[in-house]
Amino acid sequence: MTAVIEVENLTKRYRSTTAVDDVSFRLEENTIYGFLGGNGAGKTTTMSLLTAQNAPTSGSIRVFGERPYENHRVLSRMCFVRESQRYPEDFTPRHSFDAARMFFPRWDEDFAQRLIDDFHVPVHTAIKKLSRGQLSAVGVIIGLAARAEITFFDEPYLGLDAVARSLFYERLLEDYTHSPRTIVLSSHLIDEISDLVERVLLIDDGRLLIDESTDDLRGRAVTLTGNADQVDRFAEGRTLLHRQAMGSVASATVYGALTDAEQAEATAVGLERSSVPLQQLVVHLTKKTRSGHSHSHALAHPTPSSEVHS
Amino acid sequence: MTTATHLTRGPLGSIERTPGATMATGTRILHVVRLQFINRYTFLWVPLLITGAAVLISLAIYAMVGSDDPMYGGAGQAPLWYYLAMGVQAMSLTFPFSQAMSITRREFFLGTALAAAVSSTALAGFYVLLGIVEQATDGYGLNGYISLLPWVWSSGWAGAAALVFMLTMFFFFAGFWAATLYRRSGTMAVTLALVGLAVVLLAVVFGITRMEAWPRVLETFGTMGPFGAAGILACAALVAAAGSWLTLRRAMH
Amino acid sequence: MFDPGRPLFLQIAESIEESIVDGSLAEESRAPSTNELAAFHRINPATAAKGVTALVDRGILYKKRGIGMFVATGARQTLLDERTKGFADAYVAPLLAEARRLGLGPEDVVRLITEHTGHPTDHSAHLSPQEAR
Repeated sequence: MTAVIEVENLTKRYRSTTAVDDVSFRLEENTIYGFLGGNGAGKTTTMSLLTAQNAPTSGSIRVFGERPYENHRVLSRMCFVRESQRYPEDFTPRHSFDAARMFFPRWDEDFAQRLIDDFHVPVHTAIKKLSRGQLSAVGVIIGLAARAEITFFDEPYLGLDAVARSLFYERLLEDYTHSPRTIVLSSHLIDEISDLVERVLLIDDGRLLIDESTDDLRGRAVTLTGNADQVDRFAEGRTLLHRQAMGSVASATVYGALTDAEQAEATAVGLERSSVPLQQLVVHLTKKTRSGHSHSHALAHPTPSSEVHS
Repeated sequence: MTTATHLTRGPLGSIERTPGATMATGTRILHVVRLQFINRYTFLWVPLLITGAAVLISLAIYAMVGSDDPMYGGAGQAPLWYYLAMGVQAMSLTFPFSQAMSITRREFFLGTALAAAVSSTALAGFYVLLGIVEQATDGYGLNGYISLLPWVWSSGWAGAAALVFMLTMFFFFAGFWAATLYRRSGTMAVTLALVGLAVVLLAVVFGITRMEAWPRVLETFGTMGPFGAAGILACAALVAAAGSWLTLRRAMH
Repeated sequence: MFDPGRPLFLQIAESIEESIVDGSLAEESRAPSTNELAAFHRINPATAAKGVTALVDRGILYKKRGIGMFVATGARQTLLDERTKGFADAYVAPLLAEARRLGLGPEDVVRLITEHTGHPTDHSAHLSPQEAR
């Protein structure tokens, strides 16, 4: 695999807050990433650093092997339309698409036209008069039709109804299939995008908690329910993400897959195993860091079988 | 797979341009100029419309007042304030959009300066045209003048054009710089800068008064003519432009 | 549709296996391509590819250059054998565990099964254990 973006120890501090805190990762070519995290976790700041819309406090960014800041060779191969994107005064969607056609070398006008029809965007209405959903659609159309080699979508679904959202996912997948590129989908609607994304980056409070293949993550956590003593015996020595009890019955969500032997053992002592959906895993992991457990930081590059059993 | 040689077929079978072929910076700067003119209202029609409206209103006033002596009006300064606002908007709205278009700050700055120059040239041309009309019609037959002010035209049409051009450029960059400062450092910075500017101006006025130098100052302005004034404005515009660029270089979201 | 807590590529592979076992995907017929799977299930093509590759590795599917993936001869029998082997773990063990909780012994379970299969209105009665899932 070829990395299109390499980030090392990236930090962005504002006067009183640290928006991005010592983050390192790489993005491969022709891959769809899910960039997850709550509001204010640092998603938008990270993306604006990668696209040189913002400058880092420290750390290094390489895009196609070059520094992106003020570098037109690299910038013209990326596209990042913000969720809160601002447009020139009195601009209409048509003006924006005309501009995008000038600046993105791979812009596909026919595709743009099809998307305009799909999303029913009123192209001659002033952008400031558009609804939230129509505004999102303008950003989505620019992002898709630009066909940039690295495209960032920043919470692209805001204000879009279920039909429009699923249309976006469908068009994205279709277009990606016949012109593969690197796509980063920033979102907190994890369930909606989890089938689309090959890898997940989870950021919380400026720190990267997870950088893993989506499929690996799906089997990563397990919830054990049953007799409280048995549950606790199993949870002992593992990273406990969540525990709740009712009388003598407890349920514990632990990080790390169980081995076949452990699965058999759990069944034998009457514990019920259930898988943890990605959305829930992310919620647990995020909550955990918020409550201040320091060792959760080590989850970013986990080796579950060795770590969990020790 | 090397992306530079990667060819894909679009939905209609058209071969897309290769990504490896990035546009030259010059081309992209010209595209920024075009970007500023995509909505021709902003950079072209509105300033001309404001000037036109100011002229009509002045004419109405001249007609009502009526006088045997030539009447001079200050309506000509009306579009200047629009250029100040345009400078502000170029920064506060068009700059963020230019970032979404993956344009570098340098390309955006140079393209926008070029666009402002084109627009200023158009306005200067309009003023000269207006002056010629006023000359030919003896002030629209009313003996009322808006463009053809004696001092402004004392070095002919070129002096008037230079003065109008530099005035609009200065106003544009003043607005642009203020908005850039605001974007980078917030309301406090802009307020401080304005207060600082006021203090400097007051100090100059105080100094001139103290040294009882007003007659000499006025004489200097009188003798340097429109070209001289345009020169001073050019310096001021240049300072504002340089300040804008230095601030913009590190302006962030 | 899919279980959000299990690897998706496994579930994709299982859905193809299912079609082979129930006969809707015959041996030596063309299997759905990665892109078809991605579009149909609305999933990442790379994940679909991983599911297909897993089946190729196990000899269930094979690749014909330039044409696509095909179901191998004998694939259905292989899958049926695997499932028979897994039947005890997947169905008998949980059955006995539940029986134990209810206080039923193995002989009670056998009796129940016999009674159940003997019931004339039950539509699955005529199926051999291999075909029942």
